[in-house]
Amino acid sequence: MKKLLLTLALTLFPVMAFAQTEIVVWHAYRGGEKTAFEKVVAQYNAGQKAIKVSSLAVPYDAFADKITAAVPRGKGPDIFIYAQDRLGGWVTAGNTIEPIDFYLDKKLTDRFIPSTLQAMTYRKTIYGLPLNYKVMTMIYNKALVKTPPTTTAELVKVAKANTNEASGRFGLVYWYSNWYYHAPLFNGFGGGVFDAAGKPIANNPGNVKSVELLMKWATKDKILPAEPSTALITSLFNEGKAAIVFSGPWFLEEVSPKIQYGLALLPTIDEAGKKPMRPWMTVEGVYIAAPSKKKDQAFEFAKYLTDTGATKILALEGSQSPANKAVYNDPQVAANGVLKAFRAQVDRAVPMPNVPEMTLMWGPVTTAMNAIVQKASTPKAALDKAQADMVAQIKKLKK
Amino acid sequence: MTAQPQLTVEEKRARLSGEHPATPPPDAGQPGPPLLHRVSVAVLLAALLGAGLLHWILVRSFKGATEERASRAAMIVARAAADVATAHGGEGEPLAAAMTAWQKEHKTVRAVRVANIDNRTIEASSFPEDLKEGEVPRRMQRPEKPLYDLGQELRANIEANVSEGNKREAEVSVERKPGGTLLIAAPIEKEGAVAGFAQVLSAPEIVSVSPPSPLFALAFALGPFVVIFALSFVWRGSNLLLVAIAALLLLVALFAYRQWAVKSLVDGAQEAEQRFAERVQREAEIVARVAPGAEANAKTWDADIHRTPLKVDPVQAVEGQKDAIAGAAYGISVLSLALLLFIGLGAAHRTGRALAQHRQAYSYIAPALLGMLFLVFFPFIYGFTLSFTGQTIYNVNQPLSEIWTGLQNYKEILGDFTVIKQTAGGGRAANYENFYYTLFFTIAWTVVNVAIGVTLGLLLALILNTKGLRGKTAYRVLLILPWAMPNFITALIWKGMFHRQFGVINHVLAIFGGTPVSWFEHPLTSFAAVVATNGWLSFPFMMVVSLGALQSISADLYEAARVDGASRWQQFTSITLPSLKPALIPAIILSVVWTFNMFNIIYLVSAGEPAHSTEILITQAYKLAFEQYRYGYASAYSVIIFGILLIYGVFQNRMTRATESIA
Repeated sequence: MKKLLLTLALTLFPVMAFAQTEIVVWHAYRGGEKTAFEKVVAQYNAGQKAIKVSSLAVPYDAFADKITAAVPRGKGPDIFIYAQDRLGGWVTAGNTIEPIDFYLDKKLTDRFIPSTLQAMTYRKTIYGLPLNYKVMTMIYNKALVKTPPTTTAELVKVAKANTNEASGRFGLVYWYSNWYYHAPLFNGFGGGVFDAAGKPIANNPGNVKSVELLMKWATKDKILPAEPSTALITSLFNEGKAAIVFSGPWFLEEVSPKIQYGLALLPTIDEAGKKPMRPWMTVEGVYIAAPSKKKDQAFEFAKYLTDTGATKILALEGSQSPANKAVYNDPQVAANGVLKAFRAQVDRAVPMPNVPEMTLMWGPVTTAMNAIVQKASTPKAALDKAQADMVAQIKKLKK
Repeated sequence: MTAQPQLTVEEKRARLSGEHPATPPPDAGQPGPPLLHRVSVAVLLAALLGAGLLHWILVRSFKGATEERASRAAMIVARAAADVATAHGGEGEPLAAAMTAWQKEHKTVRAVRVANIDNRTIEASSFPEDLKEGEVPRRMQRPEKPLYDLGQELRANIEANVSEGNKREAEVSVERKPGGTLLIAAPIEKEGAVAGFAQVLSAPEIVSVSPPSPLFALAFALGPFVVIFALSFVWRGSNLLLVAIAALLLLVALFAYRQWAVKSLVDGAQEAEQRFAERVQREAEIVARVAPGAEANAKTWDADIHRTPLKVDPVQAVEGQKDAIAGAAYGISVLSLALLLFIGLGAAHRTGRALAQHRQAYSYIAPALLGMLFLVFFPFIYGFTLSFTGQTIYNVNQPLSEIWTGLQNYKEILGDFTVIKQTAGGGRAANYENFYYTLFFTIAWTVVNVAIGVTLGLLLALILNTKGLRGKTAYRVLLILPWAMPNFITALIWKGMFHRQFGVINHVLAIFGGTPVSWFEHPLTSFAAVVATNGWLSFPFMMVVSLGALQSISADLYEAARVDGASRWQQFTSITLPSLKPALIPAIILSVVWTFNMFNIIYLVSAGEPAHSTEILITQAYKLAFEQYRYGYASAYSVIIFGILLIYGVFQNRMTRATESIA
């Protein structure tokens, strides 16, 4: 009997000695970003023995819905990485993400660019650590544009010089009928979609003025092509027929190697008293799942992930723009022109609203923009309708 | 064919099913003893089911009423504790002493703690787990993170309620612990902001609402059974009449049971209300002793989770509960009635007999039946149930019974007749988001597309069918390509072709001297664009069907017609078309259903532009579900689409049977 117990103990001992906490992290990365992320995870696992992190790549389209369905029922991961636009909705639904205020101290919060931390805050509570941000900026064809414009007046001049509608060449090409791409303009004019209290303000004067400026570019200056779409913009730019594009890091992956492109800050708006264009920033954050039983360990990994060492790998090998301030001082990161350009632009960016009503903003404003661009409606009328629709829909949802 | 002796319907059926009845089947007008006992069994089972379910509903409802009383009592205590803490500024030594003194006066309070969120401290506590971590007052440690988060949540909720001007969020947290104790946290406010909260664990002593014993349910259920059983021995009338009497007795029994059972709700409601007032009074006296002045707000202690003082009219409250039970009772009555009719009218017997007779056949289809159950019927029934709720992305986690809205969604969709609306400029325009406009557009879309598809397909099939056509196979392959390629990709290509500046269509128009059209700017041109795309996609199917049917027409018929002097057109209308009907009609039915639900083309080519004027029902349902996140409403929309197609399918079926019998 004693021998049996001894054998049992000896066989179980190695298992007990290596009792690690296992935590699962879900992400929606592909390609370069995925490789870089897995490298960071492997590095973390190798560097300490207490926590073992395993990562799972979930397809992007289904990711948010999977989180909404699986996590509250306790079937999700311990940590997941996602943008901040669904934050409000998940907090309202309950039992999805864990507030992390309690774990934070000044040293940790000072690590991040302040606006990125603000993006992860909902109702004055911080729900995740910001990992990276994506923001729109001005991308120009170096062959067509010698010095990038810094004001809208210069922009129109440069664009007009590069526009020849008959031959299909345009000075300024971007998806201007999409509300997200229109954000630099309306934020610059002081407009927005939600006010501080979370109520919709789709038809405020700033928005109307911004749309009027856009229509001036399209109809009077004629520097924009008709019916833009991502396919059209990419093909025009790659054929050298587009001088300036307003887009983000996702666009750079599609640019053909034949085109020499440069990045510059979005111009300031003369018509708005020389205020800068303020694009929306999408911040990807590291969230801890509320039903997780290993929150403390999950937070340790989240801290590691957003620290300088890990974010340097994600920046250089995953082409991400980290929310960590200190990593930009690293010589390799500082030498990367693209990262430097986005870092400069993010100082002028506004975090995308994370209130739950954000999800139903898209329908009404898209209809409004399409109506305005097709000249079926005046800017004010279309935005008034969008505002009325949003208020009605919010009322139906908030019963 | 030799003449067959005339068989009765019964004999034909007997021959087909292979049974040889030993005794002639009983005449339906004079049921023998076995059939009447069937009714007794039916009424027994139905009554047991009905009474059983009703009893279960009553138990749940009464338990809910008792729990509500308990949380109300515990709420008064917790709010009082919060006021004591507020009176001491939410922190400090005197606070701890006051809380200890307060707890000593309460027999039912197991533990109380005061947490301060601004300072991240626990100011006072008698919870063993708090004291284990360290002496109180102290800073919060990691295990107390949930307390900190709770305080933050209360603070955020209260601020949201203030800014919205509407008390929508919970301002007090209520947690039911196992063993019947309640853990309630009430906020402590300092200078208009939430500074922390007081949390009380109590086991209130209340008079519970007890439901009647299940034996009474049994008694009420057996009533109708006894009557019908006795009646069945002397019954000389028709089976149907007996079933009708049984149904009436069943409904009466269930109704009587419900009325009798809810009496215990009504009794004692008035006294319970009186006792709550006394509780508040007693609590105020205690608080006055422990923290003089803090009892000033005693009138607000008896409140709901939004801290709105309760003004309960006991009579109305009971009426509300009775209505809720009545609602469930109607559903239960329908269910038991259905069971009674199913068994009583012989359907159960016939089903059982069919299953026994064709055992093998049913066992072959059992796997497919199971598969269909899980993959088709369950999602369908879930969607159908969802259409009666108001589920949106915000209340996905709530159980369906809490967000039940009944026929509200259907009323909103079908009852909205504003097809014409006033525009801002004073004129009138079509309301593109109206269900009836979308229905009209979908029908127009379907009719036009099927007409074009059939005409083009038939034309091309006739051309391809000419004798001696060289390269027929090559043409056939080329003409099937539109159908073979994924329609997702071709739709996007067509969308690109309709681009105002860079699209091929406008370039071709310009070559022929026309002006480029902005296709998606006007409803009619947008409609033309999507019809062109779908026409191009749908003719191959019709062509293949027609080609197959054409080749089955024997050439002799055409020979005979030519000999008789019929013209080409007469040959076409008298020989070709009627022969094509058996093949074309099913193809048209399929095509109608597919086109009615052709999501890809509309969504990808025009996306409903301009301004939702080219939406069909299914894309509208998609936008409601996945862009507006109104799942319940979109489910109702989908059920209506299903209803329309079902009616169409049944109607078409009748029509085709008529045409087939002619041919």
